[in-house]
Amino acid sequence: MNKKNKMASIQLALTRVLVYAIILFLCFLCLFFFVMLIVNASRTNNQLQRGFTLIPGGHFFYNMKNAFADASIQIPSGMMNSFIVAASSALLTTYFSALTAYGLYVYDFKLKKLAYTFIIAVMMIPTQVSAVGFVQLVYKYGMNNKLWVLIVPSIAAPAVFYYMHQYLKATLPLDIVEASRIDGASEFGTFNRIVLPIMKPAMAVQMIFSFVAAWNNYFLPALLLTKAGKKTVPIMIAQLRSADYSKFDMGKVYMFILLAILPVIVVYMFLSKSIIKGVTSGSVKG
Amino acid sequence: MKNKKPKGKSVSYAKWGYIFIIPFFVVYVLFTLYPQFLTVYNSFFENYRDGLTQVGPRFVGLDNYKALLTPTSSGSIDIIKYFGNTIVMWIMGSVPQFVFALLLAVFFTNTRLNIKGQRIMKTVIYMPNLIMASAFSMLFYTLFSNVGPIKPLLMQMGIIDKTFDFFFITISVRSLVALLNFLMWFGNTTILLMAGIQSIDESLFESARIDGASSTRVFFNITMPLLKPIFVYTLITSMIGGLQMFDVPSVLTNAKGTPDRTVMTVIMYLNNYLGGSNNYGMAGAISVLLFIVTGILSVIVFKTIDRDKG
Amino acid sequence: MRMKKLMSGVLAATMVLSMALTGCGGNEESSGGKSTNAKKEEGKVFHIMAFNEEFKGFFESYFAKKHDDGNYYVGDAKVVWTIVPNEGGAYQDALDRALLNQEDAAADEKVDMFLAEADYIAKYVKSDATTDVQKMGVTDFSNAYKYTVEAASDDNGVVKGTSFQCCPAGLIYRRSIAKDVLGTDDPDEVQSKLDSWDKFDDVAEKCKKKGYYMTASDGETYRTFSNNKESAWVDEDNNLVIDSAIQSWMDQAETYAKNEYTILGDVWGEEKEQQMLDTGKTMCFFGPAWYYNFCMGNAMDTCKGDWGLCQGPQSFFWGGTWLLAATGTDNEKAVADTMNAFLNDEKICSKLVEKNQQFVNNQKVNEKFASDPDYGNEFLGGQNDTALFVELAKDIKFQNTSKYDQLCNEGIQQYYREYLKGEVTKEQALDNFRKYIKEKYPNVNVE
Repeated sequence: MNKKNKMASIQLALTRVLVYAIILFLCFLCLFFFVMLIVNASRTNNQLQRGFTLIPGGHFFYNMKNAFADASIQIPSGMMNSFIVAASSALLTTYFSALTAYGLYVYDFKLKKLAYTFIIAVMMIPTQVSAVGFVQLVYKYGMNNKLWVLIVPSIAAPAVFYYMHQYLKATLPLDIVEASRIDGASEFGTFNRIVLPIMKPAMAVQMIFSFVAAWNNYFLPALLLTKAGKKTVPIMIAQLRSADYSKFDMGKVYMFILLAILPVIVVYMFLSKSIIKGVTSGSVKG
Repeated sequence: MKNKKPKGKSVSYAKWGYIFIIPFFVVYVLFTLYPQFLTVYNSFFENYRDGLTQVGPRFVGLDNYKALLTPTSSGSIDIIKYFGNTIVMWIMGSVPQFVFALLLAVFFTNTRLNIKGQRIMKTVIYMPNLIMASAFSMLFYTLFSNVGPIKPLLMQMGIIDKTFDFFFITISVRSLVALLNFLMWFGNTTILLMAGIQSIDESLFESARIDGASSTRVFFNITMPLLKPIFVYTLITSMIGGLQMFDVPSVLTNAKGTPDRTVMTVIMYLNNYLGGSNNYGMAGAISVLLFIVTGILSVIVFKTIDRDKG
Repeated sequence: MRMKKLMSGVLAATMVLSMALTGCGGNEESSGGKSTNAKKEEGKVFHIMAFNEEFKGFFESYFAKKHDDGNYYVGDAKVVWTIVPNEGGAYQDALDRALLNQEDAAADEKVDMFLAEADYIAKYVKSDATTDVQKMGVTDFSNAYKYTVEAASDDNGVVKGTSFQCCPAGLIYRRSIAKDVLGTDDPDEVQSKLDSWDKFDDVAEKCKKKGYYMTASDGETYRTFSNNKESAWVDEDNNLVIDSAIQSWMDQAETYAKNEYTILGDVWGEEKEQQMLDTGKTMCFFGPAWYYNFCMGNAMDTCKGDWGLCQGPQSFFWGGTWLLAATGTDNEKAVADTMNAFLNDEKICSKLVEKNQQFVNNQKVNEKFASDPDYGNEFLGGQNDTALFVELAKDIKFQNTSKYDQLCNEGIQQYYREYLKGEVTKEQALDNFRKYIKEKYPNVNVE
């Protein structure tokens, strides 16, 4: 018995070593490329051409200054545009998804079931499928290079709606709505003052995810934003790949990449706990 | 609930239901549904821009579909090849993604292993999911290109020789796409599967352990069967996401899908027609095909959600 | 906070004031100028579309005036650039869209002038999107090279633009390597050893034995062949034609790839860029005068003077940038002044030669430098390249062009490289090229 126990504990210890090795290897993989990015973003073109080392080059701010001053890749305007699109989309998408979810959860009306089923049914349709018609309309009405074209559609986000609906089902007792009405609050008043605060955690999570999704979005913006001053960050990053930029100072290229991902990383550093929690609560509940 | 409320009152609130959901539906119809209809409509027309000249729109029936589905001189059908590329690259990324995610999820939830530092580990492995795909791909390009730092490192180790070019070999470009997708998604999957495992009744594991079942047996006889609905759901959403693969292969190959168009995905192909010459006809036809494939998969998802509920 | 607001208010007021003042000054100037254009109100924004920063640099250094607001002006009009890179036809697409939208565009958004390269100038010149520049006051073409005027004229002989450069091209070699391999770095002697493709191949073999590359890209010699095509890429019946000159290039590239005479990479690629550093191991580059500035930045920085120029095995020209007047421009004077300045203003043209090593589109200026014994190009170790280019310019024939040339030229090189790298068969490579063209131009018959 004792021997068996000992065997078992040795086996457990060995397993543990193996398990830690696997986990740490994967963590290493996740971090390795970013370390390279940060190191390379601090080195000059000349240093970079002499080969890779892990020692930072000390030209981080020099590269940053160059990146910000670049005339053809206007990264400050790109970040501004991306921020406008991402922040507005995040606000609109969370507010209107919550509103719609509330409408379909609290009220009883004839088309309720149909409306709900419809949203669920279209949830899985990829946005690219409507892209052709969308691009056509945008160009037809001269709305290309307008940021709002990318913002307004976020009012109707089936997946976010679904999440909000699930959340309401789990957290909002209808008595509260009833009580608010008895207090004489209007329907919108009830939603804005009573329900929204209850939904705060869900809103926060979805706001972050929507922000990140919009910040990173490349496909549609690339088709619609063609003017230098209107481009968002992912379009500029993809442009770096084009041969016309091969003459670029590589230190600057690494800096562009770093600048593109930095805002999201910074937000993540502060909110990683709730973001990770949001991942599970969002997608699994059936 | 309905029974509790006086009937008259419930009717008077019904209009608010409509008011609350109207913005969603108006926007959806204008910005998604109508464009979707237009997409299908366009697929029956010849409609593109040849430089400064607009060609069409001219009704051509099913010609665009015929053009898409007609075998080329080499005997293969391009669109099938691109669906194939997409699926192959998805599989190359998602097999390790699910294997490692499952492993990590089991490790993290195993009380006997009692992994320390889980929070920070989860934070690290989830991080790539938030990174801008185009920036991540551009980073990979700069690192793995002929003048990037990885090649000399591998040459020093004697793994590759001077003429090796990551971006001109099908398997290596596909592997880079898969590696990127793997890195971006395995953390996400791990967290989802962990939640699934945690929702399994702990007493089941307890009793299995008391019965002396090995970890592997517990995994195959308890964890997997109970995890199956969530696993399948995650797998299929991943597949639908995989079909939309665009940013990574597009940036890695400068939208060319090189070499030999073996990295060209369906959306990249769509983008070829849509960007530039505004070929709404062909792009429309590709979209319709994509819609059909995704539709079939969505039905499956729908079914799994339903079963999950029941 | 209040202080800040006050400050910004004051700042804004000064800015408005200063703009009004400079604006007034400008007005006086222009009304005192040529009377022929006075009847038309000039637009407030001079909108130029371009595919890179090259011309913008010259334009800002030598022509446009920088005002206190940090912007450049031509007369009263503020200069606004839209720059879209060429690759993959992105610039042409952006330009097409802008020109098609020209009528509906707001005055300040209208394209006034745009730049076009040899590969696609025909498309714009032969359309209604460009307009007669002679009517605007660009009339003196006596010093321009004839082909540059022909390329910018439509079928009826209406001139729609001008070029600011002439682009005869030659072989630019690294002197230190030439000495090592050929035993000389004198341009005439080097030329005598490289004046045919057979000799070129022999030297390539010698280079390889000494550990050098002959060229740094499989596409390096592409233009020497493609420029001597006997048919256009797309013929009158819209069929794609792979000319025998292109076939010759493909054969050469195949040999050079097999023998490792060349680096396999894009003509604009990073690997080639590295070859221009002082550590570079490549002997030959092919290009016109704009090439030193535009493509050889690394060499300018690290090994200036280690370069020489000769005619090479086959004469050719490469590229060239034209300024075209867009139909519907409301800045006719600014357009005409710009074109005249870069065509006929001898001061500006001379500066382009001296400071930017350009070969300008002004024969008088070029000949002045060609015959000047004191003139030498520092980059080329003091060699008078203008003298050689004056000779080479006589051979330029602008012919067999089509509006599909850019993507055909880009595409064939890109797809053929996959064959050179050994990933596909030659037939597959050409097949992929045809698919690419078909996707971009559905009306071109590729079979």
